[in-house]
Amino acid sequence: MNAIILSAVLGVVMMFSSVLVSNQKAYKGIALVGLLIILIANINETYNGPIFEINTYNMLAFDGFSLFFNTIAIVCTGVYFILTSKQIEKVGGHTAEYFTLIFFVLCGATILSAYNNLLMLFIGIEILTIPLYILTGSKKKDLKSNEAALKYFLMGSFSTGLMLMGIALIYGGTGTFALEKIIPAAASAQGAPAVTAQTLSFLEVGGMLLVTFSLAFKVSAAPFHFWLPDVYYGAPSVFTSFMASVVKAAAFVAFLKLFIARAAGTSVDVSKIIGVDWKMIVAILIICTLLVGNISAVRQQNVKRMLAYSSIAQAGFMLFAIFSLNEMAKEGILLYAVAYSLATIGIFAILSRMKDYTFAGYNGLAKSNPALAFANTVFLLSLAGIPLTAGFFAKYYMLASVMQTGHYMWLVIVGVLFAAVSADYYFRVIQSMYFKNSESENEGQLEENPSNIFKITVVALAIVIILVGVFPNSVLYWLYN
Amino acid sequence: MYHLTNILDATPTVNTAGGYLPIIIQLVFAVGFVASTLLISNFLGPKRISKEKLEPFASGIPSHGEARQPLAIKYFLVAILFVLFDVEVIFFYPYAVNFKSLGWTGFGEVLLFVAFFLIGFFYIVKKKALIWED
Amino acid sequence: MSATEIIFWILSVLALVSGLMVIFSKNPVYSVLWLISLFFAISGHYILMNAQFLAIVNIIVYAGAIMVLFLFVIMLMNLSATAEPKKKVWMKFTGVISGGLLLWILLSVVRSSIDMRGKIAEVKTGDIGLVENLGKVLFTEYAVPFEICSVLFLSAMVGAVVIGKKEE
Repeated sequence: MNAIILSAVLGVVMMFSSVLVSNQKAYKGIALVGLLIILIANINETYNGPIFEINTYNMLAFDGFSLFFNTIAIVCTGVYFILTSKQIEKVGGHTAEYFTLIFFVLCGATILSAYNNLLMLFIGIEILTIPLYILTGSKKKDLKSNEAALKYFLMGSFSTGLMLMGIALIYGGTGTFALEKIIPAAASAQGAPAVTAQTLSFLEVGGMLLVTFSLAFKVSAAPFHFWLPDVYYGAPSVFTSFMASVVKAAAFVAFLKLFIARAAGTSVDVSKIIGVDWKMIVAILIICTLLVGNISAVRQQNVKRMLAYSSIAQAGFMLFAIFSLNEMAKEGILLYAVAYSLATIGIFAILSRMKDYTFAGYNGLAKSNPALAFANTVFLLSLAGIPLTAGFFAKYYMLASVMQTGHYMWLVIVGVLFAAVSADYYFRVIQSMYFKNSESENEGQLEENPSNIFKITVVALAIVIILVGVFPNSVLYWLYN
Repeated sequence: MYHLTNILDATPTVNTAGGYLPIIIQLVFAVGFVASTLLISNFLGPKRISKEKLEPFASGIPSHGEARQPLAIKYFLVAILFVLFDVEVIFFYPYAVNFKSLGWTGFGEVLLFVAFFLIGFFYIVKKKALIWED
Repeated sequence: MSATEIIFWILSVLALVSGLMVIFSKNPVYSVLWLISLFFAISGHYILMNAQFLAIVNIIVYAGAIMVLFLFVIMLMNLSATAEPKKKVWMKFTGVISGGLLLWILLSVVRSSIDMRGKIAEVKTGDIGLVENLGKVLFTEYAVPFEICSVLFLSAMVGAVVIGKKEE
């Protein structure tokens, strides 16, 4: 609760400071201090309970999982602010508003991590995405940014419409929004007889399918991914970074929570609750997503576009959690959120400072800026899931959660194969940085020489990723304490 | 199917759909009046159509170009801000009806909601979004 | 056939026809006008279902305010006949196929469910849709979502200023 309230309040504070504070540099400071307050309040809530005692009628439930995800989201946003606030200032004349909108997005993310009610899911998704439409189009003079914003808005609101339709159908079938009550009446406390599609009303099955597809759209699972490459490519790089990291992780947590609640609420397995062959649907989504993401990413010549497709491929891996729906999946999605978000933020922080976004633009970076090249290598290796980086254990947990369910060995093999494919395009960037020479020797690949503070933070971030990769339990330890 | 038998026979109150019967009747009459006058004048009036008469009137100057020019965004800005406050006002209806029974808690909730909007309004005014620039 | 049934059928036909006309009208302004008629038909349904608050909100906000926004958007865009982009045939084709698939899936789900068989719209039970009852629920049980909605409005306001305001 603290994080939701405070991030909304912080958004308001940033709004005020946009009118009252004229110094452009001050916004970053205010935002960072505010984020620190939110972080402290959230950690305090984890141990001592919320400051604000509000009866939410069980619409929001703040358990260890959601509070820990909030901490991750807040920390990632903090890292994001530290690394890229300079680039945020360059986007346009509304710096304070960009921070405002990011705080509102954070508010949406914290709602999504705690929702226990379909109504809150809808509000959370809306608060998460509406500021993003604006951020996508924030480069007003850039046609690509305009196009991306319009595409994102149209497709996004269409999918939100589908979700609303689904929620309405579920409400029609069950008469409630509460997640734990949406289990079918047949699976009541006494004995829980097997539930089949025949006993479910079509309202519920249809509604659940619509909500699923809409969420699949939000997390950019193929075949609902068509918006993503253009949006990620057209949006200003700083905001792409945020969309690809914290926002994506939040959407996945929302997706997972929706079905974990249903899996826990009854003894029958989820695929019976949904009433159709649920596992098969998710498996098809996973394979499509991995296929489309990886194959398209291999063919890209532009690093930003490659990262957009690789983000689809990573979504394919995160979908394993929604496939397996067990405790390990929960741990895995948190670990993935940490590893993937930090690495993506780092890569984009460097990318947004590059002159040329193509692979050739990275040529010879290792010579001119060895520190940045090293950090970038670590981030890329982490995304590829190479051992000793955080990404390895993230992927490992995902696959292990599928193994735990028993039968689906073939899916694990498919996942491993595609992880190997993904190494191809990540390594091409590394290859450019280390083994190719820049055509124009004297110019350098970056727009301007990065400050030492930037270099140190980026390298520190890389070291954190390695540390998490060596001791993954250091992250998960906090989940259970 | 709707079984609103009381729509005609039961005593209509505000709280049933039957209470809307007078409104429906009035709606039918209003629409009917407009439609019928238009139709009747169409039939009764003389029609002498010539080329000049069908041209759009522009103070005698021959018209050129297309009528549909893109509108300035400032109109839209005002309109969208209006809609936001319009939606805010909508929430006062259910509050006003329950004003007494909700007591101070309800008042606090509405106050908080309005406070958020006031902040927004302050922001809009300070950002000069309502100033009509040419 | 009771009076209510007759009204129900009239409203349903009106809603369906208007909905189809929204899609089939060549002129976007006509689409918007048909949409208004659709909203009125749906408001009529709401009244039949005793959801009076929704009916009023639907007319005031949607048919009134949002439709004005729609018209503004249409007027903002350059919609002269020459500027209209050519749509590819295969795109129309894929659109029809995917839309048809969704319809097919929904229909098959409807057909496969037992509990809904032989039932028709169940209405006029409960009066939760009345303004008074809705207000009671909104300001007690649903107070938290209600307050959180204001964050949504704020971000919309900021967005309108960021996107719509000329930069100095």
